[in-house]
Amino acid sequence: MRRARAGGAEADGIVRARLGRPAQDVLEAVVVLEAWGGIPTHDAFGVSAEVLAGRREPDAPARRWAPPDPGGRESVVAEGIALLMAILAVAAWAGPLSRELGAAALARALQIALPLTLALQWTLRSRYLSRRAGLRCLLEDRTSLIFLATAIGIPLSLLPPFGPVAGIFVVIWVGGTLLSRRGWGLGYGTLVVGEAWALGAGAPAMASLVVVAGATTLAVLVAIATSEASTGEQPGRLARALAAGLIGALLGGVLIGDATLGWGVHGAFPALALVPSVAGSLWGGFHLWQFHAEIPRGLRGVPLAQAGGPIARGPAARIVLGALARLLGVTLVLSLGVIAAGHWTRGTDRPSLFVAFGCAALVCLFVSLHESLGYLRWALFSAAAGLAVELAAQRLFAVSVPGAALIAGASVGAALALAPLTRRLRSPGRVLATALWIR
Amino acid sequence: MRRAPRRGGQRSPTILLTTEATYPHAVGGVSSWCHLVVGGLPEFTWRILPIHAGGRRPRQLFELAPHASLAGQITVWCEHLPRRQRVRGLRHGARPDLPAELVRGLIAWESDQDALIEALTWCRRRPGELRPTFRSIDAWRRFVAALRDVVDEGHPDAGPVPELDAVDAANLYQQLYWVARVAATATPPVDLLHVTAAGWAALPALVHKHLYGTPLLLTEHGVYVREAYLASARSTAPAGERFVTSRLARGLTMATYARTDMIAPVTEANARWEVKLGVDPSTIRVIHNGIDPPEDCTPPPGELKVVSVGRIDPLKDVQTMLHVAAEVLRRVPGARFEYWGPPTRGQEPYARACEDLRKRLELGDGFRFMGTTPKPTEVVRAADVVLMTSISEGLPMSILEAMAEARPVVATGVGGVPDVLRGCGVVVPSGDVAGLATAVATLLRNPDFAARLGRRAFGRVHERYTQRRCLARYRELLGELTGDAAVAA
Repeated sequence: MRRARAGGAEADGIVRARLGRPAQDVLEAVVVLEAWGGIPTHDAFGVSAEVLAGRREPDAPARRWAPPDPGGRESVVAEGIALLMAILAVAAWAGPLSRELGAAALARALQIALPLTLALQWTLRSRYLSRRAGLRCLLEDRTSLIFLATAIGIPLSLLPPFGPVAGIFVVIWVGGTLLSRRGWGLGYGTLVVGEAWALGAGAPAMASLVVVAGATTLAVLVAIATSEASTGEQPGRLARALAAGLIGALLGGVLIGDATLGWGVHGAFPALALVPSVAGSLWGGFHLWQFHAEIPRGLRGVPLAQAGGPIARGPAARIVLGALARLLGVTLVLSLGVIAAGHWTRGTDRPSLFVAFGCAALVCLFVSLHESLGYLRWALFSAAAGLAVELAAQRLFAVSVPGAALIAGASVGAALALAPLTRRLRSPGRVLATALWIR
Repeated sequence: MRRAPRRGGQRSPTILLTTEATYPHAVGGVSSWCHLVVGGLPEFTWRILPIHAGGRRPRQLFELAPHASLAGQITVWCEHLPRRQRVRGLRHGARPDLPAELVRGLIAWESDQDALIEALTWCRRRPGELRPTFRSIDAWRRFVAALRDVVDEGHPDAGPVPELDAVDAANLYQQLYWVARVAATATPPVDLLHVTAAGWAALPALVHKHLYGTPLLLTEHGVYVREAYLASARSTAPAGERFVTSRLARGLTMATYARTDMIAPVTEANARWEVKLGVDPSTIRVIHNGIDPPEDCTPPPGELKVVSVGRIDPLKDVQTMLHVAAEVLRRVPGARFEYWGPPTRGQEPYARACEDLRKRLELGDGFRFMGTTPKPTEVVRAADVVLMTSISEGLPMSILEAMAEARPVVATGVGGVPDVLRGCGVVVPSGDVAGLATAVATLLRNPDFAARLGRRAFGRVHERYTQRRCLARYRELLGELTGDAAVAA
């Protein structure tokens, strides 16, 4: 079966015919000659140097990048719609709840529920929901989740009247995130809107909230139990998820830290004022979803000589600017709309409040980008500094403008987060190599 | 040398077996061999250190023998981090040159193996610093500069390097991070390091040997670098990606060869590659795979049945087999071909292409894909001829099984196949459809000649390729390397 030794030209012909291109190096030539040319190992090694001898030009590089489909964009849209419906519904719940529980208790409940909800949502997203089979991972980790729910639920139930209400809000909002991830966001939205209608029709507030929380819990259990089959996918790192949860809690603190916002005190206001910035955040975040795929696509073909340094108008900066423009544009346009409709909503016509929520949306965007790139310390620092400035501003300066402290805190947080982000995004090669692909 | 502790005064030599995507989490030739050797040599204590790709929880498919246990497991491409180490309350510093050192040591055509092992050993000493190191801008810039030097190396054997771009660089950078992470894995005190592939699985062993002087044995089933280059040659990936993958495999192999005390390839064909890649022939000892053959053989059924057993994979060149079948069916109309085995994971499109070709060639019932079989021996026993058209093999178990059942084999002359089939089968160059078809048709038309070849194959298996012989040779080699004269004797 031994084939006669091929000459250099013949061997080169075999290699080119098989590969459709010249050999990369002698080893590739040997492998091809041996496997497809039937040439014995010793002879293949002997002739491969001749195959390479004539090569001067490198193989033409392909300029394409086919990123794996990250998936989940539809679920982001559904999650966004569900979140907006939930905010509108909560705005509608505020009046009846305030009348039944008292404004102070409702305000206290919201002050507990908002940071707790954001903390849980960030934790769940980091550890589970960012995975393709996220709900399945959640199911497989059910023991620790039951423990977590118990650890949160028991203390809250011991703090009546606001504690149990806060717990109910947490269940409904966090449940909404999980249901949206399962693709049941519209059903969830219908549930919370139905509750708003029931409250408007005079249903007892607490009792109906308990029913909604119960229905949400049941739906979540069904959603998790019937999630996709096990893929063996592992959940994210616990330490990172806990850090994400802390970041979420700090951002929640930024939202409720300013007492002039009057959560629960001013009826539907300020929940309605939150709608423009939330809608802007959603569109901005939706645009940012491409970050992981667009950076390698944008860097394809960028020569090695430029890979280490800054690139003017690089793909990373382009995407973040696009997200920023969407966030600001939508927030501005919708804020003007809500202000124009202020006479219907009894008081949501204070521009400072919309500016405050716009600033909060900015800090959330920048901090979440830091978190997704693995710069957890800087994300924590920015969020914590923003909250500290907000609380300090409120204590030190008795400003009567609603949302002034939030504007100060969120602006500082956003500026702190933006500074290193700007420096990093100028070097997309570095972002790709050191942040996106080394987690 | 850091040795394993004695147990109850009696010292059982301890061996660390490192595996890559095989034992005990996957089935296949290497896993079967690991299971045989580990289970068949209870005079040693075995610690298994498997490497597998992250993202998914691995499932243990082999039950370990009582004298074997897992020494942990290495998960690559996962999010989990090694612990950071603190000394006297201070954190150790990062090493921004590390990625550059690794690129010079593993990607350059000519590299300084001492500098490379020094860098890998630092990874073991500072596992907690790897992530901060690789995430620093300084490390990235130094890496890019070093990679540019490698690209401009201009070694005549390396050929002109394709024009790499920023994505290729980032891809390599990420792979080197995982090289560092694997090298950083802690290993238990042992008397011998036994590596099953000259690739990622060798990294923890290389560092262990450098730190403690423990002897290192490599068993090569397939030549790691050869298989990586074969995969690269078949790939349609951009030139830069192919370059990164194949050169990294070469770098890992060369680093392993440079530090290995003994190499035990499963076939002479692997040994030829190893010598060509610079291994000292005196450190190579071929130990063939073995099977447990029956005492007696049965005659072929005489049904003109041609059987192949193996995964549906481009390496098996199933498409050539389909063309061979078409040719044979023209010459011997009553012949029937059966292909037993599932597609390799990830090669489902190739399997579909094979099925399409089968239809296009209008083979009908003349060639059937039979799926997985739990009883490969019975499948082979029902054959008149066993056919193998692979473009790459080590020492294929399917051929040994056919020989053990006294069935004549027609196979391509790749890897260890010509050595195994010497005088008892027909060997044809890979891809030679006419040659393969002629050989199969000849054997089907001449059952007496086929039976004679089968009987010679049966005798050859009993003489050279039994499990008992394989285990005895390993017992002797492992005894020598662990310094256990009693075992070696």
